[in-house]
Amino acid sequence: MPKVRKTVLNRVEGEIQLKLVWEKGKVKDAFIIAPNFRGFEFILEEKPALDALVINPRICGICGHAHLIATTKAIENLYENAGLKIDVPKNAKLIRDITLGAEIIQNHLRWFYMFVMPDFLKLEKSKKLKDFEPIKGYKWQKAVDFSSRIVKVIAIFGGQWPHTSYSVPGGVVCDPTTFDLTEAKSIVDSVVGFAQQEIFGMDIEDYLSVSSEEEYLKKSKNSDLKKFIFMCKKHQLDHAGKSYHRFLTVCDMEYAFSKGITKKKRRNFYVEKVREIDSYSYLTENGFSFDKNRYSWAKAVRYNGLPYETSPLSRRINSREKLFINLLKHYRDSYMVRMWARIDEIARMLYAMKMWIESIKPSEPFYIPPPADIKEISGKGVGLCEAARGSLIHQLTVEKGIIKKYNIITPSTWNLGPRCEKYLSPAEKAITGIDSQLKAEMILRSFDVCSVCTTH
Amino acid sequence: MKTLLWIQGLSCNGNTQSLLNAENPFFYEIFQKIKLIYHPSFSYRENLQTIIKKVKEEKIKINFLVVEGAVTSDKRFHKIGDYSVAQILEILKDRADYIIAAGNCASFGNIPATFSHNPDVTGLQFRFVQKEGFFPPDFKTRSGYPVINIPGCPMHPAWFTQTITALLEGKKVILDQFNRPKELFMYLPHDGCTRNEYFEWKVESEEFGHKEGCLFYNLGCRGPMTHAPCNKILWNRISSKTRAGMPCIGCTEFNFPLRENFFETKKNMGIPEEVPLGVSKRAYITITGVAKTLKNKRLMVKLEETD
Repeated sequence: MPKVRKTVLNRVEGEIQLKLVWEKGKVKDAFIIAPNFRGFEFILEEKPALDALVINPRICGICGHAHLIATTKAIENLYENAGLKIDVPKNAKLIRDITLGAEIIQNHLRWFYMFVMPDFLKLEKSKKLKDFEPIKGYKWQKAVDFSSRIVKVIAIFGGQWPHTSYSVPGGVVCDPTTFDLTEAKSIVDSVVGFAQQEIFGMDIEDYLSVSSEEEYLKKSKNSDLKKFIFMCKKHQLDHAGKSYHRFLTVCDMEYAFSKGITKKKRRNFYVEKVREIDSYSYLTENGFSFDKNRYSWAKAVRYNGLPYETSPLSRRINSREKLFINLLKHYRDSYMVRMWARIDEIARMLYAMKMWIESIKPSEPFYIPPPADIKEISGKGVGLCEAARGSLIHQLTVEKGIIKKYNIITPSTWNLGPRCEKYLSPAEKAITGIDSQLKAEMILRSFDVCSVCTTH
Repeated sequence: MKTLLWIQGLSCNGNTQSLLNAENPFFYEIFQKIKLIYHPSFSYRENLQTIIKKVKEEKIKINFLVVEGAVTSDKRFHKIGDYSVAQILEILKDRADYIIAAGNCASFGNIPATFSHNPDVTGLQFRFVQKEGFFPPDFKTRSGYPVINIPGCPMHPAWFTQTITALLEGKKVILDQFNRPKELFMYLPHDGCTRNEYFEWKVESEEFGHKEGCLFYNLGCRGPMTHAPCNKILWNRISSKTRAGMPCIGCTEFNFPLRENFFETKKNMGIPEEVPLGVSKRAYITITGVAKTLKNKRLMVKLEETD
C-alpha cells in the first residue's frame, strides 16, 4: 500500500506543503500544495489602471520589482493596442534592466546561501560546512551583506527596495546624476569582487567564456560553486530531479539572454499559446471551488498544451549557451544543472549591469509623458518580463482607465502549479521517483519556491 | 538570552526581505543578541509545530513574538500546517512579553484586508483606522504594551531593529495613537526631502523624470501628510522614494492602500483637498500666493544651470 506523508516546507518564500505518495521506498506521486491566497487579481478590479503600479509590486517581497516592470509594460502595451504607441526612452529601458538585474542577483544570492545550502548541512552532517550555518556562518553573513548591497542600486534609481513603483508608463521617475551612476557602478564592482572570490573562484569574464564542466573545474580556484558541484555528485544529485526537458523564456535582455521556447529545437514564443487550466485549482472560471480533488490556489499553465520549465536554466538554453547545452547533454535538466544555472546567472547579470550602466546618458530623457491620459484608454494589454525565477506575464483589460480584469501568470505558477488532466507540473514531475524525503524537498527548492507568487 | 519567534500570515514576505537589508545592527548581529527560535525563511532544523508544543509545555519562553502579514481565521485562504494564523496567535498571545506587528499588513490589514471574498482579514489590533483587529482594543501583552506596530509597506529595517534594541535594553518606547513608536513616526517623509525648497517656493513638478520640482501639488505625493522618517533614516541607507522622484504613497498609514489614483493630487478649484499636516487651508493658500509672487530664481532652471 502506498504511504502518504504531508510536510510543511521551511526556507521557501511563504508557505508550501509537499504531499508525497511513497511506494517501495520511492516517491510515486507528488502534490505541491500552495494553501495561501490574497486575491490580487480580484483586488485590482475596478481600480484605476495606474494604481496597479502601486499594488502589484506588493505581490512579492523578493521579486516585486519584476511585477512592477510587467505592470508597466502591460499598460504601455495597452496604449499601443489603442493606437497610441509610447516611445520609452533608451535611458529608461536601461534603468529598468539595471534594477531588474539587481533584484535578480539579490534573489539568487539569498536563495543559494539561505535556502539551499542549509540542505547540505543536513545532508553532509560534517563540520566542513560550518561557514554556511544560518546566522552564525561567515558565508551566510557575507550573502546577507552583498545581497543587501546590490539592492542599493535599486534604491539609487527607485528610492528603495523592496516595493518601489518608480517605473511608470513612459519611462522611469528618476533623473540620475553622473555621480549616481558612478556609485551604482561601484556597488556592482564590489559585488563582482565577492562573486569572483567566493562564488566562482575565478575572474567573472573568464568564467563567462567557460564552455564545459571540466573546463570550469580545471580553471577555477576553490569556490562555493565548485564545492556545490562536488556535493551534488557525491549525493547523486547530478542526475536526479529531471523534469520535462522543455524550456520557456518570454523576454530578451541585452547581454544576458534571449527569448524562445525549446523542446527539441528552439522556436519563437507566442503569448497566444499560453493557457491556464483550473481542474485542480481552488480558483476556477466560475469562482472558488473546494472540491476534493482540488489542492492548490495556483492554476496549471501550459504552452501549446504542454508543461514547460521557466527559470534561469530556460534562459541559458534559449540563449543557446554552450556551457549549459553541454551540461544538458550529460545530465539533462537535473537538480545540479538547474541550480548551476541560477548561480551562473549572478555572473551574467553582474556583467550585463556594468554594460547597461555604461550606456546611460544622463543628459538625455528618462521619461516621456504618454500621448494621452489613461482615463481615455480602453482595451487590452500584455506585459512580459523575466523575473528571478523565470517568465512573468501580466494581462489586463481596461475601460476608460479602469481595470476590468487582471490576470497574472508567475514563473512559480509554471513550475510549481498543480497538475492538469494530462501532465504533472514540472516540479511535481521532477520529484517523482526520488528515494528520500530530504532530496524530494531539495529538488522542489531547486525551482526556487516562491509561494507568494505562486498564488498571489 | 531573550528569544524571538517570527510567524507569517497573509504576506508577501517583504518585511523579512527588508529586514535582511538592516545595517547597524545587521540582521545577523541582532540575532547574536536575541535567540531566533523560529523564522519560516531561515530555520532549517526546527519546525513550528514542535515549537508551539514546547511553548505550551513551557519548555520554550518567548520574549518577542513578531507577526508579518495580515490575520485570518479562514483556513481556506491561509494555513500554516494544520493551523490558521489566528489559532497560532490564540495559543501564543499570553505567552509573549511583546507582540510586534512587522509591516502594514500585520499592523492595519493592508492589501489583503481589501479582498472582498475574505472579509475576515485584519491587522493584529487594527483594521485600517478602526481598533477592530484580531485582538480586542484593550489587549495588552505581559509587558503592558499593546501590539507594537511597525508599519510601512515594507517596514524599514532600522525601525524594527531599533525598536527591538530599545526594548531589549529596557528603555521605554512611547507609542502614538496607532501604537507606532512615536520617536520614529513623529517625522514626515517631507522632513529632509531634497525637494523641500521646491515645496516652499511652490515650484511644482508637472511630470516624472526630473530632479527638480515638488511632487505634492500634481503628482499625489503624501510626504507632508504621512508619518514616517523616510528622509531621516534613508532607505537602504542611500536614498528615498521622493528623493528618487517617486511620490510618497503613504504606506505607513492605517488607511493604505484605500486611496485611489496614487499619482494624482485631488484638488478643488486648484486647492489640494488635503494640505500638509498642521497647516490650515487658509494658511496654505496664503503662503502659496506669497511664494509664487516672490519667486526663487534658482528654482526656475535645471539644477545643472543654477548659479
